[in-house]
Amino acid sequence: MATQDEPSIFADLDDGATEEDVESVNRWERTLRLWRETIGEQWRMLTDDLLVKLAMVTLTFFMAVAIFAPLLAPHGPLTRQYETDAEIIIADWVDPVFIDSESAYILGTTSQGYDILSQLIYGSRAALLVGLLAAVFTAGIGTLVGLTAGYYGGKIDDTLMRIVDFLYGMPLLPTVIILVALLGPSLWNIIFAIIVLQWRSTARVIRSQALSLRERPFVKAAQVAGASDWHIISRHLAPNVLPLSFLYGAFAIAWAILAEAGVSFIGLGDPNRVSWGTMLQSSRAYAALDFGVWWWFVPPGICIGLVVISGFLIGRGYEEITNPELR
Amino acid sequence: MTVLDVSDLEVYYETEAGPAKAVDGISFSIEEGENLGIVGESGCGKTTLAKAIIGILPDEGYVNNGSIEFNDTDLTELPDAQRRRYKWEEISMIAQSAMNALDPVYTIREQIVEAVETHRPGTGRTEANEIVAEMFDLVGLDAARADDYPHQFSGGMRQRAMIAMALALKPSLVLADEPTTALDVIMQDQILKRIGRIQTEINSSMMVITHDVSVVAETCDRVIVMYAGKIAEEGPVEEIFGRPYHPYTIGLKRAFPNIRKSDQDLLSIAGYPPELVDPPSGCRFAERCPLATDECREFEPPAHHNNGLRSYCHRADEIDDGFRDRADTAETWADTDAARAIDALAEGGD
Amino acid sequence: MSKASFITRRILQLGVTFWAVGTVLFLLFRLMPGDPTAFVVSAQMTPEARQRVIESFGLNEPLHIQYIQFLQNALTLNFGQSFHTNEPVRDVIWTFLPNTLVLMLTAFVIAYILGVTLGVFTGWYRGSRFEKTTVVTALTARSVPTFYVGLIVLWIFGAGLGVIPMSGMGSAGVEHESFAARVFTLDFLHHLIAPAAVLAFYYMGYPLLIMRSSMMEVLSQDFIDVCRAKGLSERTIMFKHAARNALLPIITAAAIALGYAVGGSVLIETVFGWPGIGREMVNAVLRRDFPVAQGTFMVLAATIIILNFVADLLYGYLDPRVTYD
Repeated sequence: MATQDEPSIFADLDDGATEEDVESVNRWERTLRLWRETIGEQWRMLTDDLLVKLAMVTLTFFMAVAIFAPLLAPHGPLTRQYETDAEIIIADWVDPVFIDSESAYILGTTSQGYDILSQLIYGSRAALLVGLLAAVFTAGIGTLVGLTAGYYGGKIDDTLMRIVDFLYGMPLLPTVIILVALLGPSLWNIIFAIIVLQWRSTARVIRSQALSLRERPFVKAAQVAGASDWHIISRHLAPNVLPLSFLYGAFAIAWAILAEAGVSFIGLGDPNRVSWGTMLQSSRAYAALDFGVWWWFVPPGICIGLVVISGFLIGRGYEEITNPELR
Repeated sequence: MTVLDVSDLEVYYETEAGPAKAVDGISFSIEEGENLGIVGESGCGKTTLAKAIIGILPDEGYVNNGSIEFNDTDLTELPDAQRRRYKWEEISMIAQSAMNALDPVYTIREQIVEAVETHRPGTGRTEANEIVAEMFDLVGLDAARADDYPHQFSGGMRQRAMIAMALALKPSLVLADEPTTALDVIMQDQILKRIGRIQTEINSSMMVITHDVSVVAETCDRVIVMYAGKIAEEGPVEEIFGRPYHPYTIGLKRAFPNIRKSDQDLLSIAGYPPELVDPPSGCRFAERCPLATDECREFEPPAHHNNGLRSYCHRADEIDDGFRDRADTAETWADTDAARAIDALAEGGD
Repeated sequence: MSKASFITRRILQLGVTFWAVGTVLFLLFRLMPGDPTAFVVSAQMTPEARQRVIESFGLNEPLHIQYIQFLQNALTLNFGQSFHTNEPVRDVIWTFLPNTLVLMLTAFVIAYILGVTLGVFTGWYRGSRFEKTTVVTALTARSVPTFYVGLIVLWIFGAGLGVIPMSGMGSAGVEHESFAARVFTLDFLHHLIAPAAVLAFYYMGYPLLIMRSSMMEVLSQDFIDVCRAKGLSERTIMFKHAARNALLPIITAAAIALGYAVGGSVLIETVFGWPGIGREMVNAVLRRDFPVAQGTFMVLAATIIILNFVADLLYGYLDPRVTYD
């Protein structure tokens, strides 16, 4: 843990600045510069690790796939490739190329006649949407609440932390399931439900960090100098907890994607959208397992695993930067 | 009789840039009942030296060359299992920080008994408890509190408990690494006096490692001043602090408050010790030394012997009371390569 | 603060959390947009049955009366009756909860024994290839969804090799006198092995990684040097001193993780058709059997809340340094 006399990560910059500097340089410009430098430094340290680099490449790959999905996918994800006889819907799939070299579908089609490859490609959109949105909001809300609670303390802290305690009493997946069941099965509701619960851990960690930061000399100095609370929070506290917010954001990507996959797998996924979770759900519903149609249910799981492990690896790489003892 | 004889010892640490020569060719010995002080700035290799002697170097550290002879047995040659028998039984240690030197989840008694049982397997519970009581008595702790956990003790009590544990097996040599740094001045004095008394009682030798000159002055017979992995100067304590011949010793002494001359300003020596992966070829102190010449920068200094001191300085023979007096002024210490470089940097920066 | 007043305060907090969870659940089910009875009451019911259900649940009463009724019932652990089977929810819980607990505890014990042991070794031998491989494996295990691993295991060992049953907790047609009698049969073990193994593999990563970083932290402390200087064997230092100290965060983490695991039992139970409380909750939600959904959810939440509480107490008990202020 950080020691009391550890300087602000901007100590070097703070030292060089006299009162006039602060007046003359545009405040926002300065703040912006500080943020940019922290992020830049963290980024450089992060990309030092080979595993982290691989993880970033993987994430970038899936992001590219998600963005260019309409160009990459040979068919629409929910466009029937052929009409099925409704009575014998099961086992009415087209084999993939490596089984039947005549096949027009690289990974074959599902029982409902959807192209599996196209579903896989479009599935990355759902996954990344869930992951990134959840990460941004989890880290954002958690950081804001944590900083507010930690900085102000007292009643505000008590109230906010009781809410966090309450959220900690809620089981993640069951709560998301119930919320989605009540709000209706759409991807946005799933994302919303995940965010509602997930910011709790970020808030708790950021708060304890803010509590200790509040007592540091550079915050005391700013208070004595008459800086506003918002100024202190945004310029002195926030940059110092930024690494932790990022860390929890990175982990949130992973957890959110896992949660979405789980909810979809249970059958509460968005019926109008393809995600890797809904692919697994339908493959199971159509007994692909029993028929050994592995090209239907193996690829989505691998994609989930790859994206999630990338999130974890980036998070872990980040953890080692923020906590040097782990190195 | 010589208890410990260290010769040409080199202890290196594996780093990405190559081996760091933390201890670089050091020779000295400790006689029975003698107290030897090792002083130097942090990072000069004194703790590494202690770890090498006791045999607890971290994974990346290793003895590159030289020998550590304990009662004529070279410890560096021994396989681990045999080496372990010397630990605590013959050479024990008083660790640096009283706060963290004891395992927080076991009582003091359990920790002392563990040391006894490890080395004297036949010892019964009653006998081990007698040792605990005896040691607690010796260090001035209430034996009834032996069943407390370390966190229930104050800093001073914890350090006494540490000393009790270090002396439980009546070792021939105790390595005390900054034994009193974490304590306040009054407690420091008490503990040092206590250590001195006990030590005469059980007739063990001691090696006191510290950056605090006053601790050495109080407890030791002989002193080694270390700088950047090498011995700078060595000799009897009165001589070292009375009439040193090495500019570093003079500077180091000067960097500590002197109670008798309290109006004196504290002086620090400008610059930092050299890095240890590829140290400079000449005298390692040259850059920060007001007397440095080209010879100093190029050639390693040989030992000069004056008044029982062994001083590794090219210009030791020229040092007299005149320089020692001049060393009290800031101007003298501004006239070094390091100080000039810092000035140049400051000017360039404005 | 004394230990006693710490515990009292925690118990009060516990009560408040229970109340908050219950209230939110109550509001969620009743304040959702649209007619609550339409959601709560199945459309296939006859009008009379419909009316009876609405009345029996007090759904015709004003909201605050319903709320007070709900709290009173909750205090006596009465969660009403299932819309579908008319069985009291309490009985439903008693049927399914033990199944979940058996599965989870089996998986947990295996996961923690393996995970902690591997964590001790990876922390001790840090920087080695063994450490790197183990850590990456642990991360992978935590990254692939359990239900997916479950699917693959079912596909290979169930559908493919036919060595494990595809679903359920016992073979069809086999009756047992009691729950205990059923648990101690080979048939049960046969059904338990796959889901427990999949879960254990997943849960293992957490204690492993915590134990590893906890070990590293402990190993950097001075008392480890003192232990080595004392001439203790590597084994003694590794287990008696380092691991014993590093274990503290694990025990708390384990209690908390077990709570969340029971909460997360939903997926694995669905994949393996394990008749546990998580799957029952999902089924209740899907068939809109609201009292069962509410009751089972409360049980899952209660497990978490209580185990969090236990974790706090355990920590104070195990770490002599803990003070209650």
